[in-house]
Amino acid sequence: MTLLAAVLNGLMVGGLYGLFGLGLALAFGIMRVVNIAHGEFIVLGAFLGATVLAVTPLPLPVVVLVVAISAFAMGWLMQATMLNRLVGPNPIPAMIATMGLSIIIRNALVAVYGNNIRAIDIGPVQNLGIEVAGVALGVLPLAIFALSVAMFLAVGLLLRHSTTGRAFRAAADDFEILETLGFNRRRVYALAMGLAVTLAAVAGLLLAVRSSFTPFSGIERLLIAFQVVIIGGLGSLRGSFLAGLFLGVVHVVGLSLNPNVGPLFGHLAFILILILRQADLPAILTRRGR
Amino acid sequence: MTLLTVEGLDVFHGDLQATFGVDLQVAAGEAVAIIGANGAGKSTLLRAIIGLTPARHGTIRLEGEDITRLSCDMIARRGIALVPEGRRLFPSLTVEENLRLGSARARPGPWNLEAAYDLFPAMTDFRHRPAGMLSGGQQQMVAIARALMMNPRLLLCDEVSLGLAPAIIGDIYACFRRIRDSSVSLVLVEQDILRARAASDRVYCLLKGRVTLQGASGEVALDAIRAAYFGEAAA
Ligand SMILES: Nc1ncnc2c1ncn2[C@@H]1O[C@H](COP(=O)(O)OP(=O)(O)OP(=O)(O)O)[C@@H](O)[C@H]1O
Ligand SMILES: [Mg+2]
Repeated sequence: MTLLAAVLNGLMVGGLYGLFGLGLALAFGIMRVVNIAHGEFIVLGAFLGATVLAVTPLPLPVVVLVVAISAFAMGWLMQATMLNRLVGPNPIPAMIATMGLSIIIRNALVAVYGNNIRAIDIGPVQNLGIEVAGVALGVLPLAIFALSVAMFLAVGLLLRHSTTGRAFRAAADDFEILETLGFNRRRVYALAMGLAVTLAAVAGLLLAVRSSFTPFSGIERLLIAFQVVIIGGLGSLRGSFLAGLFLGVVHVVGLSLNPNVGPLFGHLAFILILILRQADLPAILTRRGR
Repeated sequence: MTLLTVEGLDVFHGDLQATFGVDLQVAAGEAVAIIGANGAGKSTLLRAIIGLTPARHGTIRLEGEDITRLSCDMIARRGIALVPEGRRLFPSLTVEENLRLGSARARPGPWNLEAAYDLFPAMTDFRHRPAGMLSGGQQQMVAIARALMMNPRLLLCDEVSLGLAPAIIGDIYACFRRIRDSSVSLVLVEQDILRARAASDRVYCLLKGRVTLQGASGEVALDAIRAAYFGEAAA
């Protein structure tokens, strides 16, 4: 793999990383829920998609839609039946509940699917390619990248121009006042969690089309989501997107340099960013200059 | 016709009792002022009426319907709106987005965006600004307009004059006349005795969670209010 190809692949994976982070950030920003099961929902999206692809003749775009709808229902149910009972000033109970749920999902996946490494085979589309300015690009990665950009734009439109989206942002600011305007807080929260889990599961499925996964992949994916949120910030769609791209490129380029320690580069880059952020750069630079 | 009837209301913050057997009535079309010093329980009473802090004992009725145990959003949809203490706009939303949220679950009625901008023409100049970047007076206009967008039957206003310059307080109070003309009843919580008396039909004084005085605004003597307010023996 050439460096350029690695960068392009990294961008495609990175768009999905951005979606991982966006889902986590929405849940935390709107209802202060740290969803520890976020990674398991990412993996669940992959397993669900793989199963639907295997047992039905549906094409990939329809399967994505099926996974999106199921994931929305799961997120909605998780919030409505469990997390809405735990919301409050203390974030720990919801964190523990989602941690428990992550263990349940992981073990259920092992029970149903076993713990082999899996990949999704979608047939000849996998290897379709086009050449742009002398660079060979896969059609599939391009389509996946376009879809993740589209999902970011759609979430942006929803948050800015729909009543539901405005209610999400208002709930993050001041849920009591939102209630005095006639909004049912629990319903707003259930919708928001539905959206967050949908982003996780769809991105998880799309990532699985390009790379392998096991029932235990959730932890890694959750870690990536956290890193995206920390680098990109909570309240910014663009921040999540760019942070995802950055981590994606570092991961894939790192993998192409040394397949054994690929993820390490991502974590090193993350730590580097944390250190740089702490450092008082202007002060360091002026000291240099003197 | 009594719009709001509050009977024997005890409200607690955890173990701390903030109101003791409060009785209160608001007739349709009426403006009622609630005055009292810091910590008297005024905000707590409003929070209980709209369901943010549920009452432990007592009943609250809106046009005869018992709403004591309803959730806040259900009470709001039945026609009670709150202009909260400290304004509490959604800071990351623009002014107009704040207003639109007010109308999203509103009852039918005369108040819409156009009517709101007509009530406070100055709002048009900053309608697309984030609500977190407004001055206190500007915020207060938006907070009142946002609550009005619900087309309430009863508007609860918690210290709308707090921290504002006198000229701006005058502007804000001027709007209450027009709000009443749209057949919205008012509850005005205030620390400023004179202004509260001037803007209302009846006053209630609250002292340490108890109603210590009530009467027609034009009839209760200032001395009696002062005594009820500060808890001194009536002169
Ligand atoms: N969230 C809360 N938790 C605990 N105690 C509270 C809370 N809110 C109010 N209190 C207490 O309840 C009592 C009544 O407070 P409340 O805010 O209703 O008074 P107020 O008349 O509105 O005062 P102010 O004029 O300062 O707004 C006070 O003793 C106050 O300390
Ligand atoms: Mg108060």
